[in-house]
Amino acid sequence: MTKTVAMEKMLKKADLAAWMAKLGQTRLFAPALEDEDVWNYMPVADAKAVGLDHPNTIRPPKGFVFPQREVLYKFSQIPSEAPILTETLPDPEPTVVFGVRPCDSRGLVRQDIVFTKEYEDPYYHGRRAKVIYVGQACNTPPSANCFCSSVGGSPCAEDGLDVLMTELDGVYHVKAVTARGAELLAKGGDLFKDASATDKAHVEKTHAAAKAHPQRPIKDLGKVAGALKKNFDSPAWDEMAKACIGCGICTFLCPTCHCFDINDEVTCSSPCSGERVRTWDTCQFPDFTMHTSGHNPRHDLGSRLRQRVCHKFLYFVENHDTQQCTGCGRCVSLCPVGIDIVSVVERLGQP
Amino acid sequence: MIDVAQLKAHAKGLLEKGTVRTVFGYRKSTAGLLAEPAGITEAAQADDLIFDPSCVQNLALYLVNDKKHQAEKRSDDKRPVAVVAKGCDSRAITVLLQENHFPRESVHVIGVSCEGTGVVDASKLARKLGNKKALAVAFDGADAFAVTTNEGTQSIAAAEVMAERCLECRSAHPTLSDVVFGEAKAERGLHTPFQAVKAKIKESEGDRWAYWSRQFDRCLRCYACRSVCPMCYCDECVVDSINFVIAPDTTAEEKAERIKWIERSPAKSESAMYHMVRAIHLAGRCIDCAECERVCPVNIPLRLLNTRLEMEAFETFQYSPGSDPELPTLTSSFRDTDPNSFIR
Repeated sequence: MTKTVAMEKMLKKADLAAWMAKLGQTRLFAPALEDEDVWNYMPVADAKAVGLDHPNTIRPPKGFVFPQREVLYKFSQIPSEAPILTETLPDPEPTVVFGVRPCDSRGLVRQDIVFTKEYEDPYYHGRRAKVIYVGQACNTPPSANCFCSSVGGSPCAEDGLDVLMTELDGVYHVKAVTARGAELLAKGGDLFKDASATDKAHVEKTHAAAKAHPQRPIKDLGKVAGALKKNFDSPAWDEMAKACIGCGICTFLCPTCHCFDINDEVTCSSPCSGERVRTWDTCQFPDFTMHTSGHNPRHDLGSRLRQRVCHKFLYFVENHDTQQCTGCGRCVSLCPVGIDIVSVVERLGQP
Repeated sequence: MIDVAQLKAHAKGLLEKGTVRTVFGYRKSTAGLLAEPAGITEAAQADDLIFDPSCVQNLALYLVNDKKHQAEKRSDDKRPVAVVAKGCDSRAITVLLQENHFPRESVHVIGVSCEGTGVVDASKLARKLGNKKALAVAFDGADAFAVTTNEGTQSIAAAEVMAERCLECRSAHPTLSDVVFGEAKAERGLHTPFQAVKAKIKESEGDRWAYWSRQFDRCLRCYACRSVCPMCYCDECVVDSINFVIAPDTTAEEKAERIKWIERSPAKSESAMYHMVRAIHLAGRCIDCAECERVCPVNIPLRLLNTRLEMEAFETFQYSPGSDPELPTLTSSFRDTDPNSFIR
């Protein structure tokens, strides 16, 4: 492949299963109901059952590259001998994930920054190289709390995706965004027809209509970081966190949150053996910032809410020049007590 | 019919006179249909208060959190706090009083009636409405909700869209209060108590294990169930990485040698252990507000675990948690007539 090509093809909806069948030795995932009302990315057991008509999944697809539990290495030691450390770098089977919403793929781009920019994390990249993301444009907002357009995204954004699919009448417009995506389309062979000028006009119109759906606005996004900095000591943080129960929903289910904890899990004490594991952690738990002395600099709910919002709309902007929020709306919809990041930014992130 | 204007006026009066420090109530949320808890300290904020079937949260939690907060701040403001309490919430406050979590005079209970119905289950309502989006929900007599959508207001039979626990509720009216708004409607022709758990128990052991394995396997360990529970007030919890008090003279060895009862990994064994520990600690204390089940982002049916133990408390010891603040708690009382067949 000489350069990234924007290959645009058309696929009949009925042929989606046939395309999946042609993908060969690859694990396929698509949104499906894990249990009542619990949408998640599930292994595709029956390609014909994949409808791609899902609302926002409860879990974002971040676990494919940043699983909630990652073994960093195994350890063992025979008394009086040197400890033995065994490398456990992940080498997963190639995976294709279908039905990824543009907000979630933009979340992936944020994760890439964190796990690449200053240090290339071998666990993250070991998985990242093996996962191909097939996105799906949101013709209608999949959640009542969507606000992707207010944080620089769009319902048909391509960042982080290898392929973007857009549903038109009875057909999918399928666009390869990366070389990996183009290879995926090539495997479909005759199933794909070249997109005609009419198809391209149709998809443009559909994308324009998707972008026109009203979303929750954030005014002056460029000024939010500065305003948050100014309001660091505002008493409003405590006030807005008054209802917060201090659980981990908003961060665990965020497509961009990436904080982790490292623990040794001892499976046998004599001779000693076990695993060093990395698990998701959250700034919303009291022990996240607890010092060994017992002092906790972020000892109350207000300072933890401030950390979550400022990390996304201030610190990440300062460090990486982009927001660490892609507007999926999960933290708003799933918060047990209605804490709403859009309202918080509206109140403390406006000049 | 509950008059919310009276509720607001009462809260306003309390704050104007300064007889209470804070009023915990409900207000409209920007995040969706369900109300949000509000801790108000100014009389003017009382106008924001609401009470309708969207007021699902158990505000007794905020009495517990407020106590911690006051202690942290070393506040010497000893005025009581007021709290809006439904029937189930008032039972939670009663349990906290039984356990001497705070004295009776430190809380002013503003009881509210569920009008013979209960609160709404947002998922059931969304399924019922299909493509329409619920914007507001109000009580509509003793057996219906008036639901406002983008296409107007319609009346829906409450039993169809009510929270499961409300269907099984044994006392929909506050049992403990300083003032009550709304009518006491005790007669409820809904589900019999423990109906759901009794149906589940009939399944074979193998089926139940398969069922719970699937549930625990997807637990995120976000601890929302623990965080939302007014009875989960322990300062130290078995699942936390720091689950003991660290003093300046605690040595590094002592910290390193702490026993980790439950690993942080979201493995089935660890998550099952966590949920079992929580359920056992709630035996004879859980008043079935079912907030743990409501807040679970992956819909683990936690209510089944808790009501299983409540059923045991009820059927073996005729004990209903939160019915009377003067009674001792289940685990701190003994009667000669208590069955002792389990002692061999």
